[in-house]
Amino acid sequence: MFKAIVSAETLTSTLDSISVLVDECKIHLEEEGLEIRAVDPANVGMVDLSLDAAAFESYEADGGLIGVDLSRLEDIAGMAESGQLIQFELDEETRKLHIQIDGLEYTLALIDPDSIRQEPDIPDLDLPAEVVLEGKDLNRSVTAADMVSDHIALGVDETDEFFYVNAEGDTDDVHLELTRDDLIDLQVGPARSLFSLDYLKDMNKAIPSDTEVTLALGEEFPIKMYFGFAEGDGQVTYMLAPRIQSD
Amino acid sequence: MRLDDYIEELEPDEEAERRRLAKEKSYAITDHLEDFERNFEQSLSGDTLVGSTAPSIFVGRSNYPDIPIGLLSPVGDEEQAEEYVTDGKWYQQGYAIDDVLQRRTGLLNSSKPANVDSPSIASRLAPSVDDVWDGFVGVQREVAISDRPVDLEIGLDDTPDLGLDAGTDVATPRGPRANAKNADLRENPHVPKAVKKTLEDDDWQAQGAMTYLYRRGFDVYEINSILSAGALGETKQRRLVPTRWSITAVDDTVGQFVRGQIRTNPSINEVQVWANEYMGNRYWIILSPGRWEFELVEMKAPGSIWNPNPHDAVWMASASEGYEGRTGYVEETAGAYYAARLGVLEHLESIGRQAKCLVLREVSDDYWAPVGVWQVRESVRNAFDGAPGDAGDQGLDGRESIAGEYGEAETFHDAVAKVSRRLPVSHQRLRRKSELAAGLQSSLDAFSSGSLTR
Repeated sequence: MFKAIVSAETLTSTLDSISVLVDECKIHLEEEGLEIRAVDPANVGMVDLSLDAAAFESYEADGGLIGVDLSRLEDIAGMAESGQLIQFELDEETRKLHIQIDGLEYTLALIDPDSIRQEPDIPDLDLPAEVVLEGKDLNRSVTAADMVSDHIALGVDETDEFFYVNAEGDTDDVHLELTRDDLIDLQVGPARSLFSLDYLKDMNKAIPSDTEVTLALGEEFPIKMYFGFAEGDGQVTYMLAPRIQSD
Repeated sequence: MRLDDYIEELEPDEEAERRRLAKEKSYAITDHLEDFERNFEQSLSGDTLVGSTAPSIFVGRSNYPDIPIGLLSPVGDEEQAEEYVTDGKWYQQGYAIDDVLQRRTGLLNSSKPANVDSPSIASRLAPSVDDVWDGFVGVQREVAISDRPVDLEIGLDDTPDLGLDAGTDVATPRGPRANAKNADLRENPHVPKAVKKTLEDDDWQAQGAMTYLYRRGFDVYEINSILSAGALGETKQRRLVPTRWSITAVDDTVGQFVRGQIRTNPSINEVQVWANEYMGNRYWIILSPGRWEFELVEMKAPGSIWNPNPHDAVWMASASEGYEGRTGYVEETAGAYYAARLGVLEHLESIGRQAKCLVLREVSDDYWAPVGVWQVRESVRNAFDGAPGDAGDQGLDGRESIAGEYGEAETFHDAVAKVSRRLPVSHQRLRRKSELAAGLQSSLDAFSSGSLTR
């Protein structure tokens, strides 16, 4: 059983966070809310998202699992105007999702969840450094780095206690330092890793500029980025494997 | 003749520079052109060129979509027509730059303008390219799909222009040209079964048809000329494709297919460094364990054909892709990227593995005239197990045996550091230019608890 009403904005943010990595995904319809976990085919980027029942206007579910084509669902969500509500009801027998937007009815055929790539186990990582910053600062770093290079180094200077961003291109360089004063919080630890901007740019698109983002970093280790959306009732964790420089 | 018919892509001053280089480096070509003129006079009867055999075709791209399409025929050397076809055999036989230019300048390009969608500019109302079998376009099609040279009679409008076009990085150089009035077949061309199948199936998308031919043992050279002549693909999509574009399209399409084949293969388990050298081009191919990732980095020495000023620095270009391929067009390295990628993918498929791969191409000033992208494709293909490529001035016996064997390294970055000592650029500059040399993409599963390798 699944019946829910949600705002177009909340649905769009949810779908956008996932679709930067995969085309299809499984959605767990738990009693307390939605859960989505997915990894891209190269096993480089992972997303773990939850959207609590409180983020919905109304929400009823009992632990079902559905598979969806994300671009389809995004197209449908795009039919709603800002502020409009989107209504969902799952037909268990036909395995179709009925969607209503102000009189517009759309019946979406679902994908057999077994045919979708297996959900990843979330690696248990011990990441010594933690940086909390505003979405717009991360956004600025990624945009600047992208002007000169295809990759970006993120790290923490333990002695002088700052978070830094480095990008080295063919001829030009970008460097940015954010001290404790510029950051919301900083937990110093040994951290420096290189990441592909192809991935980071996509993930960054899903991060609102006015949100608080937490980055967990290590030395040549994956980065974990968490942030909230839907007024804190939604949480996203991205994980991205580094480009290895040393061996 | 219009100037832009003649020059594929270069600015006039660059073109002049290449001609100057070509002149300095070889007088043999000039002698050869004189021979050609003599042969040509003997073959001409009235306005018609008789006794001609066309082993291949050329589709130009100037003035697109009204482009020149041509039949290439070795005037006065018909018995050996097969030898004039650009393909892997040129590499196997150790052709040097001179040999390529001689072959190509010995081919008369009899061309006529045609619209890419319809058989002639004069008759736009005529049926589309897919079912044209008569006229110049039709004859060109027959030559393209035939697996051996076809006997023809070509009617010329004027006497040929014997100038030499030194070619581009992608297309093979071209020789003399003449404007054709018409062409007639003098025999029924021999068309292989698989080609008939792709020709007749008009619901078959071009990519699928190309892949089918490749799987049936046709090399990219043959597929490329079939695609150029508009002889495969869905009916409505069929059109004439300029040779230069079709070379890249076929390398890319076939490469994507082979990449799909190796996607789930296990990885190689050691770092390997392969090398080859051919026509003043040196290749280093570094394979490393992990999921597919590919990059081509080119370094062109000052004084070489694309970097003519001897006082300039080494010119660098690079392009790369990850496990899922590229989304954007390759802006640097162009056709060489797809040609080199195909060579590597074919090797990985043959050993049933996948790998991360960095190809370094060093172009020395011995590479004085570009001979076409086949040189890159064959050098990379043969680096793994084929014949070593460097014929140079020494002939076949002088081939330096660097291909076919590989060196091992502890790690990928160790291999890059070692190879970079022998490159014309510093290790630091290479790391700035090369995505792979800067860092190899790891995957998340490598960091799951219990796993030590990345």
